Amino acid sequence: MSLISALANVHTAGKFGDKEGKNENNLLKISEKKNLLIVQIVQYKNSTVSIENIDSLNLKNEPLSVIFNNDTRILWNGPKNWLLVSNKKDLLKNISEKFKSTDFAVTDLSHSRAIIEIEGQDVKEVLKKGCPFNFNTLEKNNSINSIYNGIAFTADMLDDNPDKVRLFALRSFGESLYHSITDASLEFGFISS
Amino acid sequence: MLYIKCPHCGMRSQNEFSYGGDATVKRPELNSEVSDHDWDNFVYNRKSLRGKHWELWQHISGCRQWIKVERDTATHEIFNTLKAHEEISK
Repeated sequence: MSLISALANVHTAGKFGDKEGKNENNLLKISEKKNLLIVQIVQYKNSTVSIENIDSLNLKNEPLSVIFNNDTRILWNGPKNWLLVSNKKDLLKNISEKFKSTDFAVTDLSHSRAIIEIEGQDVKEVLKKGCPFNFNTLEKNNSINSIYNGIAFTADMLDDNPDKVRLFALRSFGESLYHSITDASLEFGFISS
Repeated sequence: MLYIKCPHCGMRSQNEFSYGGDATVKRPELNSEVSDHDWDNFVYNRKSLRGKHWELWQHISGCRQWIKVERDTATHEIFNTLKAHEEISK
């Protein structure tokens, strides 16, 4: 089965916005991330089992926290609720085996999210334009759930030199979020790849 | 902009929350005789207080948890927030 990416209809490569006379390194870089494993892990309210580790990462029930290694990032989504994002597609089998259905709800969301990665020194300015969260407080390896121009999204701060953020939205809202983000990026100029 | 301190996530904009009604309404006891009057009061009748008031809110665009918020309905000042299972101290 061939996969159609969530942003296939809107994401085109090129340079856009206020790019004239600017060094390429100073432009924002926007790309779509595809083929990631995305799994929601929810521990049931009455479950008392100790939290399992996956891909040698221990789940952490702490706001904003992201635990990570080279392939996998586990984002705190809410109390006893995590979003696992990984390059390792075969991790799902391992997760399903470790997290028993009596204590955890494990849902594969790989095909139900659009993912935009945006990098550059003005990333936080772009995010501030549509989101009420104070992005000055968001540090490297933090994540938040919030809204961007009314669209619910998750932001995962991958790096801070320069800022690099991965944005997740429901697949059906992906194109709208993409338009919002690219519109907000025009004033800084961006390279789409 | 109005800010609400989510007991799970911290200080967030009110835009991320959805109002969920009076937090002081108690459901009648299960398996007990409930009069129509009591049931009406539980389902429909609400006070419209001016001043401090405990309300339910859901952090719908954040952690998706229900929380209790003590808000002044006249000034919109927020005094306190609690997790949904925490009891309101009188």
